[in-house]
Amino acid sequence: MKLSSLLKATTAAVFLTAGAAHADVKIGSLYPFSGQLALLGEESARGLEIAVDELNAKGGIQGEKIVLVRGDAVDNNQAIGEARRLISLEKVAAIFGSYSSARSIAASQVAELSGIPYFELGAVADEVTGRGLKYLFRTNPYALHMGEMIIDMTVKKVAPALGKKPEDLKVGIIYEDSSYGTSVSNHQKEFAKKAGLNVVVSSGYPSNTVDMSSLVLELKQAGVDVVLQTAYQNDAVLFLQQAGEQGFKPGAVIGGGGGYSTQPTADAVGHDKIEGVLDVDFTQYLVNTKATPGLEGFVEAYKKKYGISPRSGHSLTNYMGSKAILEALDKAKGFEPDTIVEAAKAIDIADGTTATGYGIKFGANNQNDRAKMMGMQWQGGKLVAVYPDEAATAPMKIGK
Amino acid sequence: METFLQVLANGLMLGALFAIVSIGLTLIFGIVKVVNFAHGEFLMIGMYLTFVVTGWLGIHPLYTIVIVAPLLFLAGAATQRFIIQPLMSARDDHIQIFATVGLSTALINLALLIFGADIANTPSGGLRTPVEIGPVRVLSGQLFILIAAIALVIGLRLFLQKTQTGRAIRAVAQNRAAAQLMGINVNRIYVLTFGIGAACVGLAATLIAPLYPTSPNIGTYFVLTAFVVVVLGGLGSIGGAFVGAMVIGLIDSFSGFYIGSDLREVAVFGVFLLILILKPSGLFGKSLNLSHVSP
Repeated sequence: MKLSSLLKATTAAVFLTAGAAHADVKIGSLYPFSGQLALLGEESARGLEIAVDELNAKGGIQGEKIVLVRGDAVDNNQAIGEARRLISLEKVAAIFGSYSSARSIAASQVAELSGIPYFELGAVADEVTGRGLKYLFRTNPYALHMGEMIIDMTVKKVAPALGKKPEDLKVGIIYEDSSYGTSVSNHQKEFAKKAGLNVVVSSGYPSNTVDMSSLVLELKQAGVDVVLQTAYQNDAVLFLQQAGEQGFKPGAVIGGGGGYSTQPTADAVGHDKIEGVLDVDFTQYLVNTKATPGLEGFVEAYKKKYGISPRSGHSLTNYMGSKAILEALDKAKGFEPDTIVEAAKAIDIADGTTATGYGIKFGANNQNDRAKMMGMQWQGGKLVAVYPDEAATAPMKIGK
Repeated sequence: METFLQVLANGLMLGALFAIVSIGLTLIFGIVKVVNFAHGEFLMIGMYLTFVVTGWLGIHPLYTIVIVAPLLFLAGAATQRFIIQPLMSARDDHIQIFATVGLSTALINLALLIFGADIANTPSGGLRTPVEIGPVRVLSGQLFILIAAIALVIGLRLFLQKTQTGRAIRAVAQNRAAAQLMGINVNRIYVLTFGIGAACVGLAATLIAPLYPTSPNIGTYFVLTAFVVVVLGGLGSIGGAFVGAMVIGLIDSFSGFYIGSDLREVAVFGVFLLILILKPSGLFGKSLNLSHVSP
């Protein structure tokens, strides 16, 4: 599988290079295309592919056709190997990627040493931009934005709906205890403290747990009103099921990330049981498109190219980030690393003008400071946007 | 008090879950003397089979046992015959361990290829219905697991004690060379035992699949605990595995509630180490059996 995708990418690249009359500009597309993370890795890469198609249809960038060269970051070691191959063998002008934070952290180190720009479009760990790299940029919202949006929504929407003041609201924070859950929960605690929320339970658990009943009992005993869970899929399903079965019905459950946003989770838990559960994640598709211009066009292009509807918001997030970067490159002169960095730094896109709703302006550490997550709710078996108000397609249903 | 009883009940149910996964492993570990790291993947295969057969035939997941357990028997027997047995002559036992690690990784990736990384949901068939027993609540499916685990322990015990084949299996476990001299076909017994161990996992899979979403790496969630249970109970002791599983389940549940969720594993493995230091052969283990060392 690994070899075949590699061969395919290489032959495709060779073929395209041979076929093009004028000069092409090569861009690396580095995602996990096989292995455990393949599903959402592939989904993420599709966003980049659609952005490239769109720009190529308009004549490419700086008059040159963009050619994507795939690298399969199936694990951290291979992410490094593939980044090296893309840079030294394929001579890409920049690398775009990478869905997984661990892959991104490993591969961007290689790009940094070679002085090749690395654009992260989807990884959420703090450490991606927290390392002071010069050639790494991140367009998407990360763990901090997730924590921020969850607490913001709790204070402004959930507390009033439950008829409580923020300081009277008993909050339980539970999280899977790898670096993902830990960093999001730390941001949650920070923002909760600032907002004066009363955090009564804060507990981590291994994501491969097969039983969460004692944690459910702990939350129940503490009289928790709002549960904030940062989870992968298995533990999100397990918590929602066991909470229901142990008769624990908090005022609201707000999930963060992956596990809470996918349809299989809702199917596993049951549409009636997941009804009303809130979720904060990348912008998904059932949003008010006035706040996300370009979203409908993206979905259309996606369906046309791949024959199905987008499977998650990852493709959209990657599309938005890569499109903005490529458009900025179009305005630059040449594809020297420093020219690319300069062009990226000059990007200034306002909120409300992109397909994901947020704008782009790189701040300290080259993180997009305008990036934001969105608040959603499971209603009738579908994940609909409910917060912030301008992006909402349905009112938040909450309260006893 | 009510909470205490609920925590107790949760612990027992968790123990039953660990028990049903571990019983097959203790057979393989204790008798064939192979550290089977692919044990969790047998469970994964069983769960996917349950998922597929349930959807395909439209029957209640528990009925799939008549298909899943025999298939797992074949998978186990084939593993022993075509992977482990050729390596038996290797002087170093570690080679078999690496073979099972390789098998485990291969099976996970095969499942990824066929089913993808997403979870597969076997219909629960009413097994998620809460049952109230006095002040505590458990799921009907969990009770089935407990009953099945007890029945399996008794059934295997009877099989090993009362039947000719069972006696042959025990003879091989006690002393391979002597058993061979008595005219027992050792290789056949190993293939059979590995098959039975895998079939037990097949039984476990049909009971677990309706309660837990299936994914390619679901086996890894159980396999470490299963090894702990088997070692704690005493290698090859089926009753010991059951008691060991209950001990682990209860410690997990009580420490999770009274100490903290993040410290559950510290408590479980702490107690595990303590018991091993005090009684190296495990709770029900007999003194060290070195029969597998002699050729």
